[in-house]
Amino acid sequence: MFLDSNQEKLLRGEGGGAKQFAMEVVTKVGDAVGADALVPIKSAHVLAHYSSLHDAGVDVLERFAESGGKFAVPTSVDPASIDLKNWKSFGIPEEYARKQFRLCDAYAKLGGMGCWTCVQYQVCNFPKQGETVAWAESSAVVFANSVLGCRSNKITAGMDVSCAVLGVTPHFGMLLDENRTAGVVFKLGLKSLSDFDYRSIGFFIGRKAGSRVPVLSGLPASVTSDQVKHLGAGAAAAGPVTMIHLLGITPGSASVTDATGGESVEGIDIARSDLAEVEEDLNQTSETPDLVAFGVPHLSVNELGELANQLEGRRLKEGVKMYVYTSSQAYDLAGRTGITTAIERTGARVTHSTDAEISPLKALGFNVVMTNSAKLAEIVSSEGEIKIRYASQKAIIEEVTS
Amino acid sequence: MKGRGLVKGKARAESLVSQKAFTFAHGVDPETGNVTDVRSDIKGSNVRGKVLFYPFGKGSTTASSWFLETVRLGNNPAAIVTEGVDLSAVIGSVMARLVYGKEVPVISGVARAEYSRVKSGTPVSIDADTGDVSAGP
Repeated sequence: MFLDSNQEKLLRGEGGGAKQFAMEVVTKVGDAVGADALVPIKSAHVLAHYSSLHDAGVDVLERFAESGGKFAVPTSVDPASIDLKNWKSFGIPEEYARKQFRLCDAYAKLGGMGCWTCVQYQVCNFPKQGETVAWAESSAVVFANSVLGCRSNKITAGMDVSCAVLGVTPHFGMLLDENRTAGVVFKLGLKSLSDFDYRSIGFFIGRKAGSRVPVLSGLPASVTSDQVKHLGAGAAAAGPVTMIHLLGITPGSASVTDATGGESVEGIDIARSDLAEVEEDLNQTSETPDLVAFGVPHLSVNELGELANQLEGRRLKEGVKMYVYTSSQAYDLAGRTGITTAIERTGARVTHSTDAEISPLKALGFNVVMTNSAKLAEIVSSEGEIKIRYASQKAIIEEVTS
Repeated sequence: MKGRGLVKGKARAESLVSQKAFTFAHGVDPETGNVTDVRSDIKGSNVRGKVLFYPFGKGSTTASSWFLETVRLGNNPAAIVTEGVDLSAVIGSVMARLVYGKEVPVISGVARAEYSRVKSGTPVSIDADTGDVSAGP
């Protein structure tokens, strides 16, 4: 990979320890994938949750912070493994919280934005169409490529901070036109789609697309950005998908021909029975849940409002907890407009800056988790410690409240 | 067998051979080195000190950090050989050298059809400087 004279200097350590560390990482990655150069990015999104980064991740982030690293571009961060404000009341052990706060401190020292969310594009990180970014968090990468019209690879832990500190990323993968061309067309002919259907549709696409970039035709004009968010999250959880050409939404992809470049590719019709199969597949049990989790990815303030409406006049049954995950920003808004009070009146709790799939659910004693998130269902079930029930928000509320 | 060295170094150790896409994230217990992924064909085996073969990486982008945690705890493989490039292995290995001063060479470009002839437990020598992988005493 070509390095300019400034990048050579950074690799030799002339720009300080943090940048040298970062250059070691990005040049090895660039060489491994056959990138021709390092190109500038407009923003970064990094990971700093203790559950997956472990003590090694604390060592890495502290190394960056203590060797003079500063983020060179606006840098948001994925949710933490604990509710950063109310963690004690969720039963998180002190020792565990301390590790997470070391990651928080190092991230702050590096100059990161303090928004701990997986939907940074709804909250704090707003690149414009055509920009190159380096984002971790698979669901956000799909949103960046498919809705915002940005270019991002799915950035691995360790490389995320390296790119953020340098303000560059290796030029490969989804940054190149030829890798963004669609290789399979999914056709949606179904009428009256629910919120829940979009999640299963995404998961189905992720399963079937393999390493091909999919096109989705037939999305109704009424589809919301929140529904697209969950569709993308489902797809990215089910397979290596980092972009879906959503006809009518994705910039530059008004037709199948735009997306495929005119090549003839496989077409797959999405039938009601395919969605039923996804539901069946993700459902592992019929046991009563001990936790209901909404908000993987984080709910927007609109979704919180909708949930409050659905919960009106209801009360959570004995033995079931309901956690509703959101960003700190949406949490603040919901708090100011009475939405949080309305949700919590039922016995549920709204929690922010963390998310279910990266919090220590098993250690907190949960054995059966019920959710409408295909992403959470896939991640938790692949670990094999907790059983999953997958159903619509409406069906869940019917079952666990009275 | 010959591949492309992605992170330099040499190793000689027993092989551990997987035919399926592999991940350290929720797939290997860093405290022991045991493979825990329910979908792995080498579930129950231990990666510690082995030359680990798998075709491709999969799953969460945090796998690099899970891998690095095995290094921190001394439960890491001696080397990794793959068919496709697994960036988690590359990044984890680079960080292993920078943070813990440990070498875990990584080679890619060795086809599954080729390495499948090596049985788990066979001694293997690898040289990531040249890309050479050879089985047997």
